[in-house]
Amino acid sequence: TEPGEIQEVDMQAQAEGIRTVFSHPTNFNVKHPLYSSWTLWFDSPATKGRNLPQTPISSFPQTPVPQTPGPAAAMGWMEDIKKVISFESVEEFWGLYNHIVPPSQLPQKANYYLFKEGIIPAWEDEANKLGGKWSIQLPKEKNRSQVDKMWLYTMLAAIGETFDPHLTNGEASEPNPQSLITGVIVSTRPQFYRLSIWTRLAPSGVPEDDQLRERIEAVGRHFKTSVLGYPESHKLSGPLATEVEFLSHKDSEKKGKAAKKLIV
Amino acid sequence: ASVKRDISVPPPSALFTACFIENLSEVEYPEGIKSPKAELNANAKDGRFRYDRDFLMQFMHICREKPPTLPPLDVLGIEPIDQSSFAM
Repeated sequence: TEPGEIQEVDMQAQAEGIRTVFSHPTNFNVKHPLYSSWTLWFDSPATKGRNLPQTPISSFPQTPVPQTPGPAAAMGWMEDIKKVISFESVEEFWGLYNHIVPPSQLPQKANYYLFKEGIIPAWEDEANKLGGKWSIQLPKEKNRSQVDKMWLYTMLAAIGETFDPHLTNGEASEPNPQSLITGVIVSTRPQFYRLSIWTRLAPSGVPEDDQLRERIEAVGRHFKTSVLGYPESHKLSGPLATEVEFLSHKDSEKKGKAAKKLIV
Repeated sequence: ASVKRDISVPPPSALFTACFIENLSEVEYPEGIKSPKAELNANAKDGRFRYDRDFLMQFMHICREKPPTLPPLDVLGIEPIDQSSFAM
């Protein structure tokens, strides 16, 4: 679409009083709601120990408060993670996108966490504790020019709620079924980038979980092919690079031993 | 029908005064703008919509307004490494 085209005023829509941002870029009166509201969080070594008005402790969503060690640990972890902003419409997302630093320009060891409102980016959160994550690690030098687009497409699949094929292919019988996705993360490190998709649930390997495993694998395939743009059978691992891999948060804790990875 | 707004107070930003679309089929987009893929919202209820990437990308160069609630990025420690190649 050429920029000129969008200036056209749709007379019919105007007659009905509905003005979108496409016909009225500054004077629109409707906006596109997202399936869920989202919160962007950030951390890097530079944010450590900074005490800001926005420090999340005060802005924590209602996570069940520290009765158990898990949430307490999450509080410690969250102290250095700064809430950037929450948004609930497509229009607000792009306003944010157009004014924030892209991953390729972030310092080393920085992370953006884009999570559904009410879910903190910690595996201890109720919504995450039974889940896991798809992730891919990409060597920095080779992917510096790609990572911004990859992160953008990852965010768009998240906020557009198109990661979970169970939701998009009409298989779900109930209206507004709960999405498997809780959040997405981009991490910068000295040698590589990592992109992750966090899910509410993780298959445990028992036959009863076959359906869930298939649903999780479909999320991973969508991530690899439609979002990151790789052919389905493409091998990605190499120096500093991994395949698109799924690991439950429980298995991540085991640090390698007995960890059952899914790969797409 | 989904549009209600108090017109007596000049709105600071359309981002906050605009109402949420309740029914996507009521919205007509200008020529050249694609609607969201219909199959994604066949069973949509309560304004909970899904949007494909092609649809979402069309907003990129139009929604340029800085969100009024965005804190100064340097306060959060979000500082670009290469200032010359990144113009705020």
